[in-house]
Amino acid sequence: MIEWVLLAYRIPRTPSSPRIAVWRKLERLGVARLGDGLVALPADARTREQFDWIAEEIGEAGGTATIWVATAGGAAQEQAVAQAMRQARAEEYRAVIAQAEAAAGGGEGERRRTAKRLQAELRRIDRRDFFPPEEREAARRAVRALSRTAGAGTGGTTWGGHTTGDGDPAGGDHTAGRGGRGTDGERATAASAAGEETR
Amino acid sequence: MRWATRRNVHIDRAACAWLIRRHIDPAAEFVFVDDPGDVPADATPFDMRGAELSHHGPDCSFETILRRYELTDPVLWKIAEIVHEADVDDERYDAPEARGLDVILRGLSMTCDDDRVLELAGPLFDGLHEYFRRAFTLGRPPA
Repeated sequence: MIEWVLLAYRIPRTPSSPRIAVWRKLERLGVARLGDGLVALPADARTREQFDWIAEEIGEAGGTATIWVATAGGAAQEQAVAQAMRQARAEEYRAVIAQAEAAAGGGEGERRRTAKRLQAELRRIDRRDFFPPEEREAARRAVRALSRTAGAGTGGTTWGGHTTGDGDPAGGDHTAGRGGRGTDGERATAASAAGEETR
Repeated sequence: MRWATRRNVHIDRAACAWLIRRHIDPAAEFVFVDDPGDVPADATPFDMRGAELSHHGPDCSFETILRRYELTDPVLWKIAEIVHEADVDDERYDAPEARGLDVILRGLSMTCDDDRVLELAGPLFDGLHEYFRRAFTLGRPPA
């Protein structure tokens, strides 16, 4: 099982703007919501730091926040949390795929603009994708294909998120399809593919 | 003067250390700690929870220090945008340089200790400062 960083917080209902700002930041980080005012992320230097700053912001907004480092009480619980996070990202990747496909029939200008926008969107999703779903590769391919037809850069830029592929705790329930270690292999394959394109 | 920050420095702390040394305290000495409670009594903490010179509201520590010391040089504020995006990544600014700088600093922190990262970040930020100084003078990216 992996180490998680937890943020337990309370923030006043009014004024609502700092509360909304905090909510948006947590969404952007792709947190698992474990309960009312309790969110979690796989622990690494970056996620711990991000929680630190959000905790600070909550304090400045008149709320309270504490940060904890924890492991799940059982592997099944951890897998359920990881699976929910994976599904949330899968949905985002599917939206990217749908938009790439919808733009494919448009004019060149539209294809180029959409490709650029979706590349940026992929980068954002990648940063909060801690347990990559299968849709990730499909989304990258869809955006690369769109970029190619628009004569824009090939989506190699989607590379380099802060995913924790090698700590995938839910890998165990995927032994039939892709094992927990499969993630590294997939990334290596994608890396060499991206490398070939830019060469 | 002594200044303290968290161990395993990344972009914001490296940039702050450069800013402190170049614009606030040329004789600055830096100490690195694991916990805010370990900051020596004679040291000024920065980029740590609870410190005045840290993230406040939407600002990262680099921006906080610029405000606190009333540094209004537009070139420093341009660098602040890059540091902000590399650190907070909230798309408050359009700073495409942030991604590359983030990767460079992350890589350095994997191969060097904190003192060495600050040593190497010095000329890096000096160069950035010169680049944007020229860009401001010319009104376009310098060749």
